[in-house]
Amino acid sequence: MKVTKTLDAKGFACPMPIVKTKKAIDSINSGDVLEVLVTDKGALNDFAAWAKGGGHTILEQKEAAGVLTFYIQKA
Amino acid sequence: MSNKVAIIASTGGLFDAYKVFNIATAAAASEKEVAIFFTFEGLNLIHKQAMYNLEMPAGKEHFAEGFEKAQVPNIPQLVEVAGELGVKFIACQMTMDIMGLSKEDFVTGIEVGGAVTFLEYAKDASPALTF
Repeated sequence: MKVTKTLDAKGFACPMPIVKTKKAIDSINSGDVLEVLVTDKGALNDFAAWAKGGGHTILEQKEAAGVLTFYIQKA
Repeated sequence: MSNKVAIIASTGGLFDAYKVFNIATAAAASEKEVAIFFTFEGLNLIHKQAMYNLEMPAGKEHFAEGFEKAQVPNIPQLVEVAGELGVKFIACQMTMDIMGLSKEDFVTGIEVGGAVTFLEYAKDASPALTF
């Protein structure tokens, strides 16, 4: 998987991870992959809902040491 | 499915401000068109000075620490983010007249309108929320 852009949103509370992710996804092209790092626990459900709403695909997600990492492919 | 979210902000405390702006910015970041109608105490939320000093509900002041710990953005920051994301702010003309306020008392970029302005926007919005 080729990551086009990485967004570090660690430490930010809702709604900022989603706001920052929206801005980051606007800056890449369709098919590109955005890597997002967050510590907001709400992101687990929020990112799934957000991606679904925008038609984007979460290719992979993982959790390590309290950090959630999402790989989102832009629609 | 409607792509519009309509919000009425009619209360003016700090908690109210978070409820309004968190939902508004989350919706706008999810490609929704969002408009907020600020009426009565809700006008505090976009008032140039008042938005810096919104009060917590009586007896809840101890949550200040929690806000800091959770690194929650402050209200002026959320107002700015909402503006960047294209959230439309409509201030209630009637309330402004009662309170002796003018457009210059509020953050830039707001619209001033009456109830019908908002209702026209909200007629096909889903969800429509009141705070």
